[in-house]
Amino acid sequence: MSTPALELTGLKKSFGKAEIIRGINLSIGKAERHAIIGPNGAGKSTLFNLITARFAPTAGTVKLHGEDLAGLEPYQINRKGLSRSFQITNIFPAMSVFENVRCALLWSQGYKYSFWHLVNRKHDLTDEAEKILDQINLLGRRNLPAGTLSYAEQRALEIGITIAGGADVIMLDEPTAGMSNTETDYITDLILKVTAGKTLIMVEHDMSVVFGLADRISVLVYGEIIATGKPEEVRANARVQEAYLGAALEAEH
Amino acid sequence: MDLILVNIIDGLVTGLLLFMLSAGLTLIFSMMGVLNFAHASFYMLGAYFAYQISIALGFWMGLLIAPLIVGVLGAGVERYGLRRVHQYGHVPELIFTFGLALLIEELVQFIWGKNQMPYSVPEVLDFTAFAISGNSIPAYKVFMIFTSVAIFIGLLYVLTKTRVGMIIQAALSYPRTVEALGHNVPLIFMGVFGVGTALAGVAGVIAGPVLGTFPGMAFVLGSIVFVTIVIGGLGSLWGALAASLLIGWITTFAKSYNIEMKSVLNGIGISTPDNLDESIFRDLWSITSPQIADILPYILMVLILIFRPAGLFGKRSS
Amino acid sequence: MTVSDPRIDPRIDPKGAREDEQITTDPSKPVERMRSGSMTLSLAPWVIAAVVLAFLPLVFTNNSALTIMNQMSITIVFALAYNMLLGQGGMLSFGHAVYAGVGGFAAMHIMNMSDFFSTIPLVVLPVFAGLFGMGLALIVGSFSTRSAGTVFAMISLGVGELIAASSVIIVAFFGGEEGISGDRTYAQPFFGVEFLQQIEVYYLTAAWVVIAAALMYLWSRTPVGRMANAVRDNPERAEFLGYSARWVRYYSFVASGFFAGVSGGLFAINYEILTEENLNTASSGVILLVTFLGGVGFFFGPIIGAIAFTLLQTVLSLSTELWAFYAGVLFVATVMFFPGGLAGLIMMHVPVFKLGKAGTLIKPYLYTLLPAALGLAGLAALVEMTFHYRHAIPGDNEMTVFWMTFDTHTLLPWLIAIAVTAIGLGIAKVTASDLRDAWSAANTAGGKS
Repeated sequence: MSTPALELTGLKKSFGKAEIIRGINLSIGKAERHAIIGPNGAGKSTLFNLITARFAPTAGTVKLHGEDLAGLEPYQINRKGLSRSFQITNIFPAMSVFENVRCALLWSQGYKYSFWHLVNRKHDLTDEAEKILDQINLLGRRNLPAGTLSYAEQRALEIGITIAGGADVIMLDEPTAGMSNTETDYITDLILKVTAGKTLIMVEHDMSVVFGLADRISVLVYGEIIATGKPEEVRANARVQEAYLGAALEAEH
Repeated sequence: MDLILVNIIDGLVTGLLLFMLSAGLTLIFSMMGVLNFAHASFYMLGAYFAYQISIALGFWMGLLIAPLIVGVLGAGVERYGLRRVHQYGHVPELIFTFGLALLIEELVQFIWGKNQMPYSVPEVLDFTAFAISGNSIPAYKVFMIFTSVAIFIGLLYVLTKTRVGMIIQAALSYPRTVEALGHNVPLIFMGVFGVGTALAGVAGVIAGPVLGTFPGMAFVLGSIVFVTIVIGGLGSLWGALAASLLIGWITTFAKSYNIEMKSVLNGIGISTPDNLDESIFRDLWSITSPQIADILPYILMVLILIFRPAGLFGKRSS
Repeated sequence: MTVSDPRIDPRIDPKGAREDEQITTDPSKPVERMRSGSMTLSLAPWVIAAVVLAFLPLVFTNNSALTIMNQMSITIVFALAYNMLLGQGGMLSFGHAVYAGVGGFAAMHIMNMSDFFSTIPLVVLPVFAGLFGMGLALIVGSFSTRSAGTVFAMISLGVGELIAASSVIIVAFFGGEEGISGDRTYAQPFFGVEFLQQIEVYYLTAAWVVIAAALMYLWSRTPVGRMANAVRDNPERAEFLGYSARWVRYYSFVASGFFAGVSGGLFAINYEILTEENLNTASSGVILLVTFLGGVGFFFGPIIGAIAFTLLQTVLSLSTELWAFYAGVLFVATVMFFPGGLAGLIMMHVPVFKLGKAGTLIKPYLYTLLPAALGLAGLAALVEMTFHYRHAIPGDNEMTVFWMTFDTHTLLPWLIAIAVTAIGLGIAKVTASDLRDAWSAANTAGGKS
């Protein structure tokens, strides 16, 4: 069996006495589309933040293509080919849409901290950024400040920024949160289009999105994965039905 | 030994004075996230107001009234200045308080001129409290120590034991929640800003007669106060106390013991070069501790920032 | 923490698009338009600036005008360097004068090393000064750029104070109280020019302004310059794009140190003396004021700020003792009411011009600004009179304000000044609402123009 794209072993995280993530083992293969679902407060976003080094884990390891990520900074992890989006839109609101995407391209195109290239003269950068803008259907908004876009457009831009760097492992944190049905369908199609051939890991609440997109699903409840498998397996799993629906019902009341 | 005791007392006076400023500054910083650059200017205003009041009504009325005026002014600055600039972000807030510091200095010069004011120690306290082998300790110093300690005990009591203090402490960490519970958070902010500046005012009233009441007094002390709260750890009240006392003692001791860099260097085994006058390091060799006493806090700050960026007691770094 | 906010950052205005963006207005054909127009469009301001600088001495011929223009040029370079931090990198420094100062002191020492100095032309001296400024920034930046915001501001203040205070102790380098002086004419003649005359120094300084400004502009167009903006707006996002926010800040800081050093070198050439004043917090505060007054949101903001401030300083300091007081008021008013600075005010009008409605604003502006100016003049007169009343030598009751001489111990002048203030500001207050209406009408497309 080939090395998994992402492998979590015994991952734990505590804040003070509260143990939020209680030992997660998960292996996600190359080019797999994996969804993490679970009731509110299950620790999904925390898990994301652990993988991308926004938080340091209390115990356990995260391996990207077999390489341990312990002690690396977020920017170093990004350079190894893992890119993420955020639950709350996280773009550069004062910059133009084009500029947002171009900034996301700079490192992967090898410009690093260069102060001897002029970005406007680099047609490869411009072309590549416009290609991505085209993919996320924002070419018409090219020169507007990103902060003036509609919510759905900002989410699309966030996905564009996330994939621009050419990372092969893409992590999306609730990409359709707070969207109407049409917007959700639109973003779902977009995600399918731009992550083709890449490893996708996403946290999502909307079950129609999850079952439409994911090859495999993991269910996270109170910091533990209670089931992992193909959508139909997970759907049929009794524990999932009980825990997930039970918690969801509790949350409703 | 006796000299050490005298220095300990002198350093304590300086340290407590610094703490009176850094305490208010820290409170304001932890609550509003803005470092009030003009904080020392309120200290200066305290001294000037007290001087003006003392001419008519005497020192004690000055001690009572001047901080109140300063506090009201401070609250006004928060309400009509800072709150407006707050919407633009943190950097403009800092720039605003910086501009305010410049403006207050100019304003003070406008009203009182550039010369030092003849604001002096009240006669009741103008005697020697006790002497330690020939070194007299003036009663005013003892008075300064007691006043500042009394104020801190009061402050600590209000913050930890009263309802208002609880609300303030909660508002420090969770302003939204406190607001949702029906408390008027903007009013609390204004109040804390007022009290913080009033504390600086008190410091000015009691320091004015000893350190001099002149237009530059804010900048002289101001930058040391900022250094203090950086060393202590931004937002930590205990850190501010520790750093204030540390700086008070370090500068006092450096001033009273004439330690030459030459003997330090010789002591660690570096011999004096023969042609010292031509060496580019000649200034390094001739440095004495009283000479660098005033810049020691800055050196300390740089060292702290390199080895312990969050400060002595700090938890967060930004 | 977001340093930049839409309100302070006029770039958020979609119509007031920036230099590189405004080239393309047709979204359907962005690429072609950008490539065809960019060269000529972006070169034009530089050529105009160079021509203006070349001809200015023919208009203003006397020496004091040259001195002012030199002062302006030095301030422009320094303010632009400062804005690399504040405007482009979101780092607020309270001690940036030390980088200019150390560069200047280094230039002074090179001037005094006659063997070496006589082998280099004077025109390259600012490069050496810049390298020293950069060297200091390399050291200080290694620990100060760890974070932006308040901590950075405090470190900059502390380091600035430390170096300013050391200047009286480390006499070998800073020359103590007297400072260090030298003679620029000992350099190797540059095509026969020995820089004995003010006009020659003017052209040297002017050339350096254009070069330094162009380099700083180009810097803002490079990957690291673009990422400085990104880190300013959202350091966390930048980290997840592969860039270390700290390193991006460090590069900006070092580059800013270099250009600050260049301005210090120009200062050394112009004045041939540097003292503690070039290092202290007051100088650092002035450059903050200049930059903020000009506007941090646009590249050209600090240039306007430097020109406006130098003129203001020259005019006011000649006519009143209270000029620093007025500068302080202006500074605080700018932060409170026009956080975009002068550049922000200018760029606010771009949409109006694009809609072709600028003409409709002239009258309302006159109706409001003229009485307001009158009222402010009255207020200034009151301030001056109060100051005179309080601080003049006893018996010296006469004073001159706005070319009128009168006795401050009589009632009439006070009444007149109060009346002028009240009437001027009163009218301005009434007409301000008309101006507001005209402004919103002018910013709305359609209707008559």
